[in-house]
Amino acid sequence: MSVKDKYAFSGVGLTKQGKVPELGANELAAQAILRALDDSGMDKKEIDGYIFQPGLGGGPVGNAPLVSAGIPAKFCWEMQTGGATGISTLAAAIGVMEAGLCRTCVLLNASSASSMGLKIGAGDDHRSTYGAYGYYAPVAQAAAIARRWMHLYGLTKRQLGSVAVTLREYANKRPEAVMYSRKMGMDDYLGSRMIVEPLGVADCCLVNDGAVALIVTTAERARDCAKRPAYVMGYGFDHSLREIGRSPTALWHMDGFVTEKAGQTAFDMAGVTLKDIDVAEMYDAFTIFLLAQLESYGICGKGEAGAFVEAGNLRLDGEWPSNTSGTELSWSYLQGFTHLTEGIRQLRGEGGDCQVENAEIAMITGLGGTEEPGIGSAAACCILRR
Amino acid sequence: MSDVRKQLPLVTSSDGPFWEGARRHELMAYKCLNCGTYYYPAIHCVSCDRPSMEWVRVSGKGSVYTFATYYQVYHPAWKGDIPYNVAWVRLDEGPLILSNVIGCKNEELFIEMPVEVVFDDVTPEISLPKFKPAT
Repeated sequence: MSVKDKYAFSGVGLTKQGKVPELGANELAAQAILRALDDSGMDKKEIDGYIFQPGLGGGPVGNAPLVSAGIPAKFCWEMQTGGATGISTLAAAIGVMEAGLCRTCVLLNASSASSMGLKIGAGDDHRSTYGAYGYYAPVAQAAAIARRWMHLYGLTKRQLGSVAVTLREYANKRPEAVMYSRKMGMDDYLGSRMIVEPLGVADCCLVNDGAVALIVTTAERARDCAKRPAYVMGYGFDHSLREIGRSPTALWHMDGFVTEKAGQTAFDMAGVTLKDIDVAEMYDAFTIFLLAQLESYGICGKGEAGAFVEAGNLRLDGEWPSNTSGTELSWSYLQGFTHLTEGIRQLRGEGGDCQVENAEIAMITGLGGTEEPGIGSAAACCILRR
Repeated sequence: MSDVRKQLPLVTSSDGPFWEGARRHELMAYKCLNCGTYYYPAIHCVSCDRPSMEWVRVSGKGSVYTFATYYQVYHPAWKGDIPYNVAWVRLDEGPLILSNVIGCKNEELFIEMPVEVVFDDVTPEISLPKFKPAT
């Protein structure tokens, strides 16, 4: 039996995003939880489940945030599937609620990555076959995918830049965005420091401190909360593991992410199609991730996403208003929670100067993996409505 | 400047024969004797119902599938190599193997470039399969 519309997000709690050295990850997490409760108008005694992702490092530890926030939860679970974790925690929470084991869950992502000086992908002295070849950091796989797109479809550096510049323009209108006051035009993008060619620093997500807590509960309970509910219409998952028998290159998914089942399942459950989507928030750890998903989810034909974005289609007046907070490239890196957060806010009409007018249905995607060659191996898709 | 060393590969029981082959300067892949599919890394065959896996020597020939060029140092031992490439080589037998292309400038690298294996003896026990432009 479908769970369509049976559950909804009722609360969003955000801390300051950026450099927050005065708070550790446990404190950030506790603050986000308390703010989500305030936002929803719910009582802390109503929270009986907690599922969290501890960032890429520098994250909260176990039940410590619940202790300091005084939350009497029945369970406290850690989950990790990279950028697909946000939607995955939602699916886990709905599973528990559907089984009648609890009624309200907090989903959380928090990290002190910036204050701790975390260097994503830095090598160490251990034995590592990838390290033996100098292969470090997720950006390298993203760069190799971008190189493939350049070869196969004529993707240009300017087209990659159009993703970064469009998202920066959104973030420049959102006061809580990490890059709120940092403007970036195409020339700035083209001149930005190269990391792993063809990707530069402006093609990569932020590394910052911050936390978000999302409260998900029954539709019935959400309707009595302080804010307008964001109903969960459908969700689904896919994984490149499914494709390894088809092609030996699929494990690295250099020719596109394996997202087909994620999209199909989510849209089928929701009973909507791409045409019904008013606003999208698509996983953007790297510019090429967003471009490749525009193609893998069928918003563009294969190889067409670069021109599609360059034509301005991700903007509010474009064909596919997307990543409206500036998301991971310019707003805040909370992994898959970045996109869920902005999707919920758009459906509430809280998008400020980046609000898609009368947004009723949102598409959220996540993309992640936790083990090489897994960057982008796990795909998640979720459809929300107001 | 310092004695910071590059990382050595992690040799496990599942890919021991790969590294034993490399030490003999032979490139190995994991082959399903039932259906003929080659794998690297070692994957229990997903293409057929009766997998029968064995490490076999492959030709060492292939082509560059894609590559990435490092400008940022992630490990101090690689500092002097910047900019260096990491390339994914599609072996003629099918598998995609991560390596470096040596013996040519980064600017000369291109997708579909024919390459062949060459072994870098980094210690008496470990030889790393790398690739050079095919002759």
